[in-house]
Amino acid sequence: MNDLTNPVEVLGIDAGGTMTDTFFVRRDGEFVVGKAQSDSDEANAVLESSKDALAHWGREIQDVYPEMVTCVFSGTAMLNRVVGRKGLRTGLIVSKGFEDFHRMGRALQCYLGYAFEDRLHLNTHRYDEPLVHIHDTRGVTERIDSKGVVVIPVRLHEARTAAEELIDQGVKAIAISLISSYLNGEHETAIRDVVLEVAKEKGVDLPVFASVDYYPVRKESHRTNTTILEAYAAEPSRKILGQLSDRMKAEGATFDLRVMATHGGTIGWKAKELARSLVSGPIGGVIGAKYLGEQLGYENIACSDIGGTSFDMALITQGNYSIHKDSDMARLVLSLPMVAMDTIGAGAGSFVRIDPYSLSIKLGPDSAGYRVGTCWPEGGLDTVSVTDCHIILGYLNPDNFLGGILDLDVPRAFQCVKDQIADPLGLTVEDAAAGVIELLDLSLRQHLRAMITSKGYSPRDFVCFSYGGGGPVHAYGYTKGLGFKETIVPAWAAGFSAFGCATADFEYRYDKSVDVGINDESSEEDIEVACLKLQSAWDELKVKVLEEFAINGFDESAVTLSPGYSMQYMGQLNDLEIESPVANISGKEDWPALVQAFDDTYARVYADAARSPELGFGITGAILRGSVETSKPNIPKEPMSGPTPPEAAVLGKRKFYDNRVWVEADLFHMESLLPGNNIVGPAVIESDATTFVVPTGFATNLDEHRLFHLVETG
Amino acid sequence: MTTYTKKQVNDLVAGTLDWDSVHKMLSMPKDAGRYALYMEVLQDAVTYDDKILLAVGPHLNIVESATDGEIIVKCNCGHDFGDYRENWKLGANIYVRDTAEKMDQVYPRLMSPDTTWQVYREYSCPSCGTMLDIEAPTPWYPVMHDFQPDLKTFFEWVELPAPAKI
Repeated sequence: MNDLTNPVEVLGIDAGGTMTDTFFVRRDGEFVVGKAQSDSDEANAVLESSKDALAHWGREIQDVYPEMVTCVFSGTAMLNRVVGRKGLRTGLIVSKGFEDFHRMGRALQCYLGYAFEDRLHLNTHRYDEPLVHIHDTRGVTERIDSKGVVVIPVRLHEARTAAEELIDQGVKAIAISLISSYLNGEHETAIRDVVLEVAKEKGVDLPVFASVDYYPVRKESHRTNTTILEAYAAEPSRKILGQLSDRMKAEGATFDLRVMATHGGTIGWKAKELARSLVSGPIGGVIGAKYLGEQLGYENIACSDIGGTSFDMALITQGNYSIHKDSDMARLVLSLPMVAMDTIGAGAGSFVRIDPYSLSIKLGPDSAGYRVGTCWPEGGLDTVSVTDCHIILGYLNPDNFLGGILDLDVPRAFQCVKDQIADPLGLTVEDAAAGVIELLDLSLRQHLRAMITSKGYSPRDFVCFSYGGGGPVHAYGYTKGLGFKETIVPAWAAGFSAFGCATADFEYRYDKSVDVGINDESSEEDIEVACLKLQSAWDELKVKVLEEFAINGFDESAVTLSPGYSMQYMGQLNDLEIESPVANISGKEDWPALVQAFDDTYARVYADAARSPELGFGITGAILRGSVETSKPNIPKEPMSGPTPPEAAVLGKRKFYDNRVWVEADLFHMESLLPGNNIVGPAVIESDATTFVVPTGFATNLDEHRLFHLVETG
Repeated sequence: MTTYTKKQVNDLVAGTLDWDSVHKMLSMPKDAGRYALYMEVLQDAVTYDDKILLAVGPHLNIVESATDGEIIVKCNCGHDFGDYRENWKLGANIYVRDTAEKMDQVYPRLMSPDTTWQVYREYSCPSCGTMLDIEAPTPWYPVMHDFQPDLKTFFEWVELPAPAKI
């Protein structure tokens, strides 16, 4: 039955390695979350998960899909393909003499993604298999110098031989990345055309990716890795997303499927630069926090997302997150602009071990994942995890874990913690388990504090958002004593990333490296040339952005373009991204405005006194973002009721180990609580997907937007 | 605490253990039973009865002699290099690559060192011919004594009784 006054408008999908979550939002802001086991057929898992979600409203996919306007997908399949080296077999064409640089890799790739101790520990350093095998790599004679001047013209007959050999060897795609091509793309495009010609002659349908068409930015390793990923990892995803889109259309969907991208916007699944969606889950949370902040008036937000395996942190200052330009993922340096986040490998499912020599507790870096811990015998684990400690201490309900789909064996967990942790330390099981939780909280708290203070801010100026499956369990622990203005836990914390994806703009972003330096000695003419150089880079990017939107059926008039640039004081190492104060640069008369915008941003990010205009100004990159209007989820707004929770929300009491004593904690059902309700710890608030812990010394109240505000009462 | 099976330690010695397990072994505190397991694996690889105390190379161990209890260095084939405090290399066969022609046998021309600056000395077992070590010193440098373990302290560390003749 269709409810036309209150249709379901938005769908966020988070296709993880084990579970596929769907998040449906109605026009009035009400939402439901669905879960299904992930499947090799991703389309199937999405449909199953949708059914599960819509069952809460008693509705069917065929009724709901046609009334929806927005759907955003995020998933881990592409990343897993890279990590597991299971991508499309790709050939690589580089400048002759440079055939080995891809497999040699950048030195930092041998310890990227490692825990701090392992970074220092040289014998753990290791290079992963290259994405492209040396036998699938060819060099072509050519050279462009660091100014973009052709020094050796490209030998196209070599490109022809290379393409023939690679295709005969069985590569399924070809990537081209030449030295200095970001300054002058003519050799790459010439090679690309030859490769396409050869493919046509041989009658094979072979995608060809020239770095200049995708990521014309400096740094060969970053650019080459990213271009290869476009073929190796993104090409298979394009097919899968195509299938998903077709299946949804078959159920009556009329919306365009979009994908969350690393730069914080969403892009169409047909996007040319699909590798941008390599990592999307944790970013969704940051975008969601920003959106919630905009709607509710929070400008400075510390985002904290704790899942089973990691703790992700990001800062939103004055309503903006920052972008990290040379990001790395899956132990590869990449030229994808990415929402800046700090991640540590400790989560709610981390393994707990004792160092037999120092008798200290060691958390992670590996975690139990879907196998939960020793409390779930079928999981086959015999090493204690943080979850085991939660179960023993009464934080989590063993009878309703993940909505009760798993049978947990509490005595087994108790025995394992006793044997592995408590006895070696000479502690009671409760104190040992509590010690583990305290250690995790302490470590999260230190990282959170360090992330904020190292950027020159104070927690006092921030509201902390806590989400992810484990956020509500640990929110009190990792925010305690840091002095945040407020700690906020959304009732939909477990589905917050999927929610965040649904709030993201439909936005493409293209980057191009630019080299411009202007100081006191520069002439008027130099400034004129510099300004025009930036404008011509924007013009080039504009073509690409509009091309992407055209693929999704939007013409130029629907697209809002926001040009930007990266600028730095000459001689300094870090640049800042600036949204351009002028939409078009006509000449040198626009230069002061560009410089002023940078100076102001610099003073805001660092300090007034740190500004150094006497050094001169350099522009390092041109950025162009284009976006179109999309429908976003409304934030729920419900009528307020009194401070006492309704009868229906009260579930009784449970033993809970709180500050080294057993207490009786009040139990509540999260979904039955009403706005305005105030709960004083010790209390545990349960829902299917998460558990919100409010120990003694804390209280929480639910506001009209279904956000819990956690406060320290003393 | 993590423990490992004999098979894992065996694979580690053979170089066939998967990288994730190797990484974990490197990063985590050493498990208490590792020394015993490791020695068992080494012992399985040899035919002699002398008890292996420590490895000094992939084919070379410090052992406690089954006949007189002396602590000696032995090749996997059973060749006796004598007291562990003496440099075993002095009892090995030696081949010195000290000309460009000899270097050409192992590396392409111009990708090996200039032999007036650096030579390769290859040490092999007089009994079985297995190459036991290579050193790459300047030509005039004396034979290197790689290391001499302090076995007494070592057995204190692993909290096991030390052999009598240490």
